[in-house]
Amino acid sequence: MAAGREIKKKIGSIQNTKKVTSAMQMVAASKMRRTQQRMHAARPYAHRLRQIIGHLASARPEYTHQYMTEPEEVKRISYIVISTDKGQCGGLNANLFRALLRDINQRQQQSIESDLALLGNKAITFFRSVGGNVKAAMPDIGELPEVEPLIGGLKVVFDDFVNDQVQRVDLVSNTFVNSMTQRPHVRQLLPLNKSDDLQTTHYWDYIYEPEASVLIEGLVQRYIESQVYQAVIENVACEQSARMIAMKNATDNAAAMIDDLNLLYNNVRQASITQEIAEIVGGAAAI
Amino acid sequence: MSNGKIVQIIGAVIDVEFDRDSVPNVFDALTVVETELTLEVQQQLGDGIVRTIALGSSEGLSRGLEVVNTRQPIAIPVGEDTLGRIMDVLGKPIDEKGPIEAKIKQPIHRKAPSYEDQVGGNELLETGIKVIDLMCPFARGGKVGLFGGAGVGKTVTMLELIRNIAIEHSGLSVFAGVGERTREGNDFYYEMMEAGVLDKISLVFGQMNEPPGNRLRVALSGLTLAEQFRDEGRDVLLFIDNIYRYTLAGVEVSALLGRMPSAVGYQPNLAEDMGILQERITTTKTGSITSVQAIYVPADDLTDPSPATTFAHLDSTVTLSRAITDLGIYPAVDPLDSTSRQLDPNIVGQEHYSVARGAQEVLQRYQELKDIIAILGMDELSEEDKALVYRARKMQQFFSQPMFVASQFTGREGEYVSREDTVRSFKAILDGEVDDLPEQAFNMVGNIDSAREKAESLTARAA
Repeated sequence: MAAGREIKKKIGSIQNTKKVTSAMQMVAASKMRRTQQRMHAARPYAHRLRQIIGHLASARPEYTHQYMTEPEEVKRISYIVISTDKGQCGGLNANLFRALLRDINQRQQQSIESDLALLGNKAITFFRSVGGNVKAAMPDIGELPEVEPLIGGLKVVFDDFVNDQVQRVDLVSNTFVNSMTQRPHVRQLLPLNKSDDLQTTHYWDYIYEPEASVLIEGLVQRYIESQVYQAVIENVACEQSARMIAMKNATDNAAAMIDDLNLLYNNVRQASITQEIAEIVGGAAAI
Repeated sequence: MSNGKIVQIIGAVIDVEFDRDSVPNVFDALTVVETELTLEVQQQLGDGIVRTIALGSSEGLSRGLEVVNTRQPIAIPVGEDTLGRIMDVLGKPIDEKGPIEAKIKQPIHRKAPSYEDQVGGNELLETGIKVIDLMCPFARGGKVGLFGGAGVGKTVTMLELIRNIAIEHSGLSVFAGVGERTREGNDFYYEMMEAGVLDKISLVFGQMNEPPGNRLRVALSGLTLAEQFRDEGRDVLLFIDNIYRYTLAGVEVSALLGRMPSAVGYQPNLAEDMGILQERITTTKTGSITSVQAIYVPADDLTDPSPATTFAHLDSTVTLSRAITDLGIYPAVDPLDSTSRQLDPNIVGQEHYSVARGAQEVLQRYQELKDIIAILGMDELSEEDKALVYRARKMQQFFSQPMFVASQFTGREGEYVSREDTVRSFKAILDGEVDDLPEQAFNMVGNIDSAREKAESLTARAA
């Protein structure tokens, strides 16, 4: 019955794992609702801001901000990578990094170099082992991130753009489709462009009051903030739903494994009982 | 008058009564006059009665038949005259090529060589099978056990070993078929004939259709042949398929001999029975016996008393595992369960040793991670662990190898991989040099170069 005891022990440890994963599933489910609400609440603002920037980018305003000038040649790209702090959320981060690495490789073939600005622990540990030109790293972004520290940490990236060190900044994060699906997404942040996901039926030029430079300066700043912030809270919402699904699968897998092991255990147990009976009966008959 | 009479017949066990002053010794061979059946004395019961086992069918015997004592144990012809011949447990030819005219006959019961006669050699014996050469290298003059449950490929692996070692090997071989299929013995005979090495091999068969007495003693007959060659100062290869049948034959007669069944129904003197046989399979100062023994593992349980008592006698154990045959990997050698005394940096060299241990570590870690992968999925592993898992899976595939004797099943010509090549190839996987190749490329190939070639042809086909 030595094998039996071993199986029992294994069942015990899987049962413990199952308890943990099912608890995590429930925690993630409740957090998911809150994070989704927050994401939905911030969406209209970000959306409208993007529309305005879209108009600005396609219009010819009297003042052109540095962020708006299309460079002649892109030699270097900076990627702002938004990941989660913790694991146990299925392939969320792995898929994102895969999409990012594919993008980096494609650029490399066009001999475009890349810099990385990393948000979240997972991205930091991943690129520590994979390697990459990391310009900024912000661990522990938490579930309720503030705008100020996020943008502050990314100042290097925008400075590089202004100083023409990099000619383009891309934002890499997961977009929330629904609770079951999240998609990794690499999209251009700078220079400002008319994003393709906006349906603009008409163009217009704004009349600026007060001065265009002051207004646009502020507007662009707000735009960057809102885009990064939106991406971060969307990623947090993705994390919670991905975690809920991943933990649900883990719990199911653990349950299936326990079933299999129980079957095996009963088999072993019955085999040893049968054998002992056979031995006793055989022994008794031989005497 | 030394003739006796049969007084009791229970299956293969026969009691014979002699005069009290001419009781035969234990292990003396007796002959039933009427049927020429040979009996071997096992016990003296007192009052002139001896208990014997029949080496042949006991059908048609009756009480009162006359029995002659030959006053010596069973003796079989040995030496060069037995080469190329097949005989049974009593040394009678069964290949229909006329009598074996040997100058020397030797009794099948002998003492094991004394301590001072024994020597241990550490010269390696290359088998050309990757997983065996890497994980459990054989020694010339060593004892190797091939453990495996039903249908995991013991006999095929053994035949491949015979093909790779015996055919390349210049010395003599002895093959003892103990309680296995007659067809396999037949295949083996013709294979050797085709390879042109039949004149270097002696064969003894007591297959599964024969009475327990034959199966119990045929291993000793084979061993006696090998011993003779050894004592003539030659290097002999001894192949025994299958040691478990020897134990099983012991079980069949044990209770009839009046012994109380012991654990799992085995004979109570299981360890002694095994020791008597195994202690004789040894290398002495005059010559060497390198033995390869197939050992059936009942119900895939290595803790079963029979394989468990055999373990202690061996230098190398090659364990074939069902879990690996289920993956379709042949030879299904379990790299974590197979060991060898020769896997020592002083014998195989530091590089081989560290590659083998490194491979074991990776596979062990993979084994541990399997549960995590099953519950949480691959994505939860760290980058290092992921790389390790992929390497372990490649290694697992790379342990498979096309075999010469199985070419009709696999449709691939066999490949012989030298030990040097094996170590180099596994080092490449361990060091991550071939991380870019797909897993399939490692299935059923020889060395790492053919894995690379296969990867190329795979991508070419995909494109």
